[in-house]
Amino acid sequence: MAAAAAKGSWRRLNPLQPLGDALRARTAAWVRRRQGEDLLPVELQRRRLYILPTRGGVAFGALVFVMLLAGLNYTNSLALFLTFLLAAFALVVMQLCHGNLLGVRVTALQAPAVFAQRPATLLVSLANDAATPRLRLEAGLEGAPRSRADLAGNGQVLLAVPIEPQPRGVLHIARVRISTAHPFGLFRAWTWVHAPLELLVYPAAVGTRPMPYGGSEHAGTRARGGTALDEWQGLRPFRDGDSPRQVDWKAYAREAPLLVKEYQPLGSELRWFDLAQLPGPDIEARLQQLARWVVDAEAGGEAYGLVLSGVRTASERGPEHRHRCLALLARFAETP
Amino acid sequence: MAAAPEQDAPLALRSLAWACAAFGGGVLLHVDRVPPWASLTCLALIAWRLAAARRGLWLPGPIARSLLALCMAAVVLARFHTLNGLTAGTTLLLLMAALKLLETRRTRDELVLIGAGLFLLLAGCLDREDLARVPLYALQAWLCCAALAVLATPSLTSRAALTLAARTLLIALPLALALFVFFPRLPGSFWAIPRGSAALTGLSDSMTPGGIAQLVADYSTAFRVRFEGARPAALLYWRGPVLHEFDGRTWRRADTALRARPRVEFLGEPVRYHVALEPTRRRFWFVLDLPAQSAGARTSLSYDYTLVAADPVNEPTAYEGVSYLASRAVDPLGAGSRREDTALPGNANPRTRELAQRLYTQAGSDSAYVTAVLDYLRRGGFVYSLEPQPLGADAVDELLFRTREGFCGHYASAFVTLMRGAGVPARVVTGYLGGEWNPIGDFLEVRQADAHAWAEVWLQGRGWTRVDPTAVVAPERLTRGMLQLMPGAFSASERLLYGPGWLGGLLQRWEAANAWWADHVVRFDFASQLDLLTRLGFRAPDARYLGWGFTAALCAWLLFMAWSSARLGRRPRPDGLARAYQRLCAKLARVAPPRAPHQGPLAYAGTVLAARPDLRAAVQGLFERYAQLRFGAATPGAAEVADFARAVRRLTLPGSAGS
Repeated sequence: MAAAAAKGSWRRLNPLQPLGDALRARTAAWVRRRQGEDLLPVELQRRRLYILPTRGGVAFGALVFVMLLAGLNYTNSLALFLTFLLAAFALVVMQLCHGNLLGVRVTALQAPAVFAQRPATLLVSLANDAATPRLRLEAGLEGAPRSRADLAGNGQVLLAVPIEPQPRGVLHIARVRISTAHPFGLFRAWTWVHAPLELLVYPAAVGTRPMPYGGSEHAGTRARGGTALDEWQGLRPFRDGDSPRQVDWKAYAREAPLLVKEYQPLGSELRWFDLAQLPGPDIEARLQQLARWVVDAEAGGEAYGLVLSGVRTASERGPEHRHRCLALLARFAETP
Repeated sequence: MAAAPEQDAPLALRSLAWACAAFGGGVLLHVDRVPPWASLTCLALIAWRLAAARRGLWLPGPIARSLLALCMAAVVLARFHTLNGLTAGTTLLLLMAALKLLETRRTRDELVLIGAGLFLLLAGCLDREDLARVPLYALQAWLCCAALAVLATPSLTSRAALTLAARTLLIALPLALALFVFFPRLPGSFWAIPRGSAALTGLSDSMTPGGIAQLVADYSTAFRVRFEGARPAALLYWRGPVLHEFDGRTWRRADTALRARPRVEFLGEPVRYHVALEPTRRRFWFVLDLPAQSAGARTSLSYDYTLVAADPVNEPTAYEGVSYLASRAVDPLGAGSRREDTALPGNANPRTRELAQRLYTQAGSDSAYVTAVLDYLRRGGFVYSLEPQPLGADAVDELLFRTREGFCGHYASAFVTLMRGAGVPARVVTGYLGGEWNPIGDFLEVRQADAHAWAEVWLQGRGWTRVDPTAVVAPERLTRGMLQLMPGAFSASERLLYGPGWLGGLLQRWEAANAWWADHVVRFDFASQLDLLTRLGFRAPDARYLGWGFTAALCAWLLFMAWSSARLGRRPRPDGLARAYQRLCAKLARVAPPRAPHQGPLAYAGTVLAARPDLRAAVQGLFERYAQLRFGAATPGAAEVADFARAVRRLTLPGSAGS
């Protein structure tokens, strides 16, 4: 997972790092094997909860051990009793921490699609069937920062887990970690939810080429101007990539914001964006240009379609169509 | 609204305040042990840190902090000359933790502070185990746990954190008790940190005339005694160090421990008793006159019947004693002992020697001489006083012929000097006299105020015989406590507390509780563990039994916790309507596709009927009734639910469409 690379620089210097990574990978495979795939909603049962002391818990254990030595050394009853009280306290805390996660229901996992290099979010919905509140539940991806929230008794909560900006493509999220260190922070109980989850990463909508009109044969070749044949559509705010020739400079001189004159070419209500028509060796740059056009066309309320490797989509408009087109771009892989 | 991820925010003032509280509680536990400047420094640093967090005051940087740390270590070293003792170590820990406070930036630093609070609590337990301090220790443990809770879960209110910590500690208490009882204690230490060398009040191995007077106003417990059988009716003289060497002013122990102990014939019935001795930092154990045997392997009975232990009494110590109240010598007095116990320094106290010679000539025999000297003390106008005039170089001369006032130490010293002046072997015995009977706890409480000094004289045919010259000067001293004897020596509050009356009665109860605490908790050791196992019905238990007990307690507790958490984690029992619906779905699942988790009743009815159209008549109505009862506007009545449940129970479904 890409997010795993995000830890501090000391990890790169750590000579045991490959060993730790291998161990982690093996553990992950073992956990996946014994738990199987999850079908949401998932109720967190005893069998799938894991628990280990936190760093604070280890330090607490060391403190209790030193206390034990001191108590035994001086045969001091009160010090020994304090030692046993704290040890028993830690055991109770372990139970409470486990109980804080036990029976929580993971009702939904969602990763809304994003553009490349934009912050993404994983949405985790948790529900509590018990009357006791469950405080400080955490959700996160492996090796990434966790989000925390309190879950009221018989309540629900939606956690937004940040995902680092990703390159274009599909990020397969193999597993999501739900954990808690409440109460006292001495232990952390956690579980892995293996729900098949994809994060679609659209290409970044970047490109300066003018949007092609009409059929694919004109894609990228025809400059956009205000010829007499085109139908006046109106003014819209300036966007990156708009040609200076389209700007309504007269309005700008009247201290209006930078506006762009829009024309609808007569006889071409739909636009076809064809990957093959875009020049250049960089496939990503061409996909970005296509994404840009899709976004612009959707914003302009025009019908549009994609032609990828000779395959045509339907020509439509609307948010669903936009998503369909951008998803195609996200999933696009060149077949040699 | 989705909960946003939390950043590692700068420390919240609240969690910092809680960490400071946990640490400050530890500081307060030691406020009367460490030097005042150390406590004040800590409290000031806490105030500074909190003010800095609140108002943004300046905090020292790393260089300033390092310099401060070095300075403080140097001051502690200069003050204690070591960093190894309990007090010095505690002081250093206090100061370093307070410095750490100045660089708290993250939650981990706050955890260190709470750890320091717990460590100071441990140091407190090692330092003092009094029952009176136990509530303080409990409070500190509670405070530290609550601070941990706040740090881990900032959304907890302070009240909720305290409740949570208290509840968790209470649940932990039974296990802690079981572990405490069964965890095998090891005798001896792995290493020793020197204890504070500050002398404790109590008898020492030397006596100057004014020495015991300091003890008299000290009402702290020296030791407690439980008798097997009835308490002896006689006066109880508790024997401590026996002093032989005299330099004219101070009496000291002789260091000739190799002398053989003269055999004696014990008379009367033995008295068996158990002593619980408070720490004295000295090697003497106190026994009832006259001990018949040494109290254990680590002690020896010296030639003058002083019970001397191999190590100083640094911890509360319990031992058994067997004593006789009367005895007779079997062997004659050895030449060495006679020389030692008739020696007087060069030419000190010349008038006393002269008096001794005169009185002995008049008396004629040793025993008549003793009587004559006692008569002299009784008739000579001597006064018992706790604040006598100071004595010069010839202390005994001045007492007998000038000041004529003093207390037990003065008179024992004078009496023995008079004896030796006439060549009669005599020695000074220090120890305690009497004690206060506590009827609630059935034990004798001997206080420092009961410290006493008397004399022993060697009489032909009887051996060493106790003579208490104080008895003739102030006979009331023997039977009445110092409080009744010298009320002026005590403050009004002490008179109220230790005198008869309801407050005194309350104090006796408190002391009984203290005695119980000291016997059953403070001195709970390997022997007590085995004793407990024997009482639980195990025959000849050893350390393995303890291990089993320990494991059994741990397992039992874990089972209990698992059981209670299973109860906790169980989902609430569904209501009658839901149960009936579940039964309906279960029946249908045997003959049709099972209900998917997302399907509501009508959607599932659709699925069922698509697969088994022949069931329409049987189940369509049931699904509709369920949807009506569950989701309809009115709350379903009990009768309707029961009706539905009955209909489901009666429903029989044909196996499959074909059969």
